[in-house]
Amino acid sequence: MSRHFLRAINKLKKMILDLSVVVEKDVHRAVKSLISRDGTLAQRVIQSDEKIDEMEVDIEEECLKILALHQPLASDLRFVVSVLKINNDLERVGDLAVNIAETTQFLLTQKKAEPPFDLEGMAEQVKDMLRKGLDALVKQNVLRAKNVIKADETIDEMHRGTYRITKDHICSDPENADSYIYFMSASRHLERIADLTTNIAEDVIYMVDGEIVRHSHDEFGNNG
Amino acid sequence: MERMFDEELKNLREKLMQMAILAEESIALAIKSLKERNEDFAQQVFKGEETLNLLDVEIDKLGMQLFALRQPMAGDLRMIIVTMRISIELERIGDLAVNIAQRSLELLKQPPLKPLIDIPRMAELAQKMVKDSIDAFVNNDDKLAKSVCERDDEVDDLNDQIFRELLTYMMQDPTTIEKAVELILVGRHLERIADLATNIGEEVIYLVKGKTIKHHCE
Repeated sequence: MSRHFLRAINKLKKMILDLSVVVEKDVHRAVKSLISRDGTLAQRVIQSDEKIDEMEVDIEEECLKILALHQPLASDLRFVVSVLKINNDLERVGDLAVNIAETTQFLLTQKKAEPPFDLEGMAEQVKDMLRKGLDALVKQNVLRAKNVIKADETIDEMHRGTYRITKDHICSDPENADSYIYFMSASRHLERIADLTTNIAEDVIYMVDGEIVRHSHDEFGNNG
Repeated sequence: MERMFDEELKNLREKLMQMAILAEESIALAIKSLKERNEDFAQQVFKGEETLNLLDVEIDKLGMQLFALRQPMAGDLRMIIVTMRISIELERIGDLAVNIAQRSLELLKQPPLKPLIDIPRMAELAQKMVKDSIDAFVNNDDKLAKSVCERDDEVDDLNDQIFRELLTYMMQDPTTIEKAVELILVGRHLERIADLATNIGEEVIYLVKGKTIKHHCE
């Protein structure tokens, strides 16, 4: 491996880790804005998205440059291609953080209603999953990545549960129907973040082992 | 060597076209199942989704092989990456069609709430966006891609309108809540499909015009 190539790879690693830090922070802030009804914080998440988009474009350019200049092979190639994918997934997680922040803003225009299910608990689990997924990426750890993929099922189940609960709450308290539907949307955004985190974990496994695990463990989509 | 590369590139694009056709069909079938209250169409959507998953993995593998064996130049590289990305979007569209078909099966268990007009219209818009985004990709047509992105607002507005209307139903008559929530979800799934078509449009603009355009539709 040439010194130039090594330097390019290290730069790329740093870039993707920087992006993951920003994305993780935004998810944290978006969730906090939702739970504590904090419009200012929600606004900050929405503003931050532009930076994430820029970082994503820069990383993609860097990947293309490496592929074109160094034409890496085998595991090096897998690394660069995986970064391309993870980059894309992280940007989408950023978009979902924006969606959650927008949900916060909508809820602030409504009479205050309590989430009819354990939104905070679900959010904590999703954040935990994201943290572990990114940790698996940093440490290139297949075992951790596999644990992240397993955790996705729990989140899916939680999300499926919100559906019935939401319906029941709209029935007993139709005045807050708007808010309940938006809480369910927030749950869906969280579930999507968990899905994307699963993708990232799959890419980590591919990066390290060269094994494609996509679709091999997933079932049909979920409600909402 | 050169000719083989072209052949493989063509193969990659053909697989993507297969996915695009299947994804469009899935949306149409899911809505047809909903509108005509027919379970068979929903089952077809479930089958289509399995094929979409397989094709997505094949495209992924093929793309990787092209990187590894052919060491493509910058322009081709970007093309392959965009193809792989669009494949992911189409696969997601298949998932959402499955979600709609699942809603349809739920709704079949009860008498209809009302004749569906706005939802099929929204579905047509979304389906056309998917079709045009793929046409834009095939023909390197950034103008068409841009028009796809612009239509996203229209779908969003229609979804809001459907949402409001169904909320009114629920407020007036709580016995409609079950059905109304199902339909609200269908609206959201369609809105997501339009978002994914917009992503494809953005990818095409990016492919044609370069990096600064990404994430912006102007």
